[in-house]
Parts: sequence; structure tokens; C-alpha cells
Amino acid sequence: MIGFFQQYPEYWSDWVARLLLGARVSAELSLTGFALAALLGALLAWAMKSPSALLKRLAVFFIQGMRAVPLLALLLALYFTLPSFGLTLSGYWAGAIGLGLQGSAYVAEILRGGLDSLHRGQREAAIATGLTPLQAFTAVIFPQAIRGMLPPLLNAYVSILKDSSLCALIATDELMLAARAIASESFLPMHIFLLVGLFYFVIAFPLSLLSRALEVRFSRGRKTIRG
Amino acid sequence: MANLEAFLGLLPLLLKGAVSALEIALCTLALASVGGLVLAVLLTFSRSRLVHGAIACFIEWMRNVPALAHLFLIYFGLSYLGINLPAWLAAIVGLSLVGSAVLADTFRAGLQSLHVGQHEAGQAIGLNRMQILRYILLPQALRVALPAYANYVTQLIKDTSIASAIAVPEIMFLARNLVTSTFQTSLIYLAVMCIYAAMILPIGAGFIRLERHLGAAR
Repeated sequence: MIGFFQQYPEYWSDWVARLLLGARVSAELSLTGFALAALLGALLAWAMKSPSALLKRLAVFFIQGMRAVPLLALLLALYFTLPSFGLTLSGYWAGAIGLGLQGSAYVAEILRGGLDSLHRGQREAAIATGLTPLQAFTAVIFPQAIRGMLPPLLNAYVSILKDSSLCALIATDELMLAARAIASESFLPMHIFLLVGLFYFVIAFPLSLLSRALEVRFSRGRKTIRG
Repeated sequence: MANLEAFLGLLPLLLKGAVSALEIALCTLALASVGGLVLAVLLTFSRSRLVHGAIACFIEWMRNVPALAHLFLIYFGLSYLGINLPAWLAAIVGLSLVGSAVLADTFRAGLQSLHVGQHEAGQAIGLNRMQILRYILLPQALRVALPAYANYVTQLIKDTSIASAIAVPEIMFLARNLVTSTFQTSLIYLAVMCIYAAMILPIGAGFIRLERHLGAAR
């Protein structure tokens, strides 16, 4: 056991430097993916709320489809099949787009759930006081809805961060690929994969805690059936 | 039409891979359900701080680290320590550990949603702890947990694709091999996505029917 940990100091500076570089790419990749997911998710939520039956159906179809396909299949398809249609994406962008596409399905459901949790009367009252529909949304609906949305959105980001590790399989130079490279050079896979797990944990765990804290905070003072 | 023929030629192998994926998912589901249930019951009824702390550490580690890292750790890491698991077993062990953590949270939320009177009533009519759990608490808690459980099951089927990274010959791995040997890239990945959808959508729909059925029986 002690022998196991004695390996760390010997390689520490090299490993940590390389993993930190990878972690930076992972952070950027997951944030880009999340931004795309948020944009597309908002669009989908809007489509599901729109009066057009066609738009609604398309949005639901897209969401269902995205939820029924593994991220890895999506990533490989984006990375390997698009070039034959004349569009070559780098591993990074194929990854970000894949994460964004799949994430958007989850984000859309979160946004819709958040909006649905408000009583219809909120909007009606806002309109009755003379606000335009846009003002009603930005001044009345959204500030209330965002409280319920924030914790699950944080969880969605944590999922995207973890899922970004799959981008290593399409040769994106992120944290997991850096770990695999080190593991195959050093022949110390146990050491490396524990360490890389710790890297992910250090980013993801505080965010999970924050999400839970926000949930508790926002649900306080709000009367529900369960009291 | 050449495409169609090529497609039909590839289909049997991909379907074989889909069956392996489902086998892995099924084994994982069984292990993760038992593991999750045991952890949830311990979390709900144990008064030992040590037990709570240990389970909380396990759950947080499993849920905040990517599944791919767990699989690499179990497949490559353990072989470094001299424990050589075959790839399929490593995948099942890894996914089951992650699943136990996810389901522990799911089942715990189900158990803790019940009123304390349920437990007291069970004691009052002379049931022992196991009987209270078996006949009173679990049937209600599992019903509450069903939607989250359904989510986990569909997520699990998708996550079996990660096992391809440690060369488990399931559908994703076979597809990647087929791509390198036949160059039918778009055809194969399209087929793979359709096959996954064909596995997942009916299961999701089945769970929704089950929820309605149980809801109606209430």
C-alpha cells in the first residue's frame, strides 16, 4: 500500500502538469457544450410552448431521438461521417457539438418543467397590469422560474463535464486522453486513473453540492403540498 | 440499392452486438438494483455514522467521476494489481458500481418520501423490521422511485456503449470494427443509432405504461 503511493512523488510534477492542460481543455469543452445545449435547449423549450403543432412535434421528436441515442454513437457519427459530406470537424468541435446536441434535450426538459411549475395566473396577472408578453416573461415569469431551474441545470452541466470524457475516444486532447497517454507510457494505470478520477471529482463534486444547497434554499419558504 | 444490400449484410453482426449490449445492461441492472436497495435501506435505517459516511463517500465518488474513468480503473488499474478481469466482467462491475450509487439515491428518496407513521403502524401490528420493509415500505417506495428508475434503465442501455472503450464486443465496438473494415461509415453509424433507439424507446414507453397502471391501481 505504501509502495503504491511512493510512486506518486517521483512523477508528480510531470503528471499534474499534463493533466492540468487536459483539465483545461475539458473545462472549455464542457462549457462550450453546455452553452450550445443551453441555446438549443431554450429554442426547443420555446418550440414546445409555441402554438404551432408542427413545431411542437418536431421539438418532441428531436428530444426523444436525442435521449434514445448514446452520446458515443453521436460523437463517432459527427466525427467520422460528416467528412464524407464535405464537413470535417476537429475532435474538439465534434465533441462540443455532440455534447450540445444531447445536452439540449435535457436542458429543454428542465426549462419546460421550470416554466410549467408556475401558475398560469402569473402571466395573466402580468399582462393584466399592462406588461407586454416579453416584459411579462423577463420581469415576472423568468425570475421565478429560474429558481427551480438552476439546480437541475447545474446537474446537467456536471453530466456534460463527465460525458466530455468520451471525447477522448474521438481523439480530443482533453483530460481523459491525457490520462490514457500517461498510463500507456508509464505502465502505472491504477495511479493515473485514480488521479484523473480525482481531477473530475474536484470539479464536479463542489458543483453537485452547490446544486443541492440551491435546491434546499429555493424550496424553503415555498409552500408545497408536502409542506 | 447497393447500399441496401451492404446494410443487410452488416445487420446480423450489429444485432448480435445489440444482444450483447442488452445482456450487459441486464446483468448490471440486477446487480445495481440489489446494491442500490441495500445502500438505500442502510442509509434510511442505520444510525451508525461510520456507515453513513462510508456510503456517502462511495456515492459521491461514483457519481462525480465519469463512468469511463471507472471502467479504465477497473480494467487497466486492477490488472496492474494482478487482478485480470475479462473486459465484459470489468464493464459489468464498473457499471454496477456506478448504478448502485445512482439507484441508492433514487431508492432512498423513495423511502424517505413515506410518512413515518407507515413504519410505526407496522410496528404496532407486530411486524418485525424485515416484514415492515418488505410488505409496507418497499412497495410504496418503489412506486415513488419508478420514474427515476426508468430513467436509469434507459441511461444504462446507452452507457453500455462505453464498454466498447475497453474492447467489450458489444454493438458499438463491433460497429467501429465494421467501419474500419468496410468504410460504410455513415450507414453503419446510422444503423447503430436506429438499433439503440429501437431498444430504448419501447422500454421507455413500457415504463410509462407501468407508471400509469400502478397510478391507476392506487
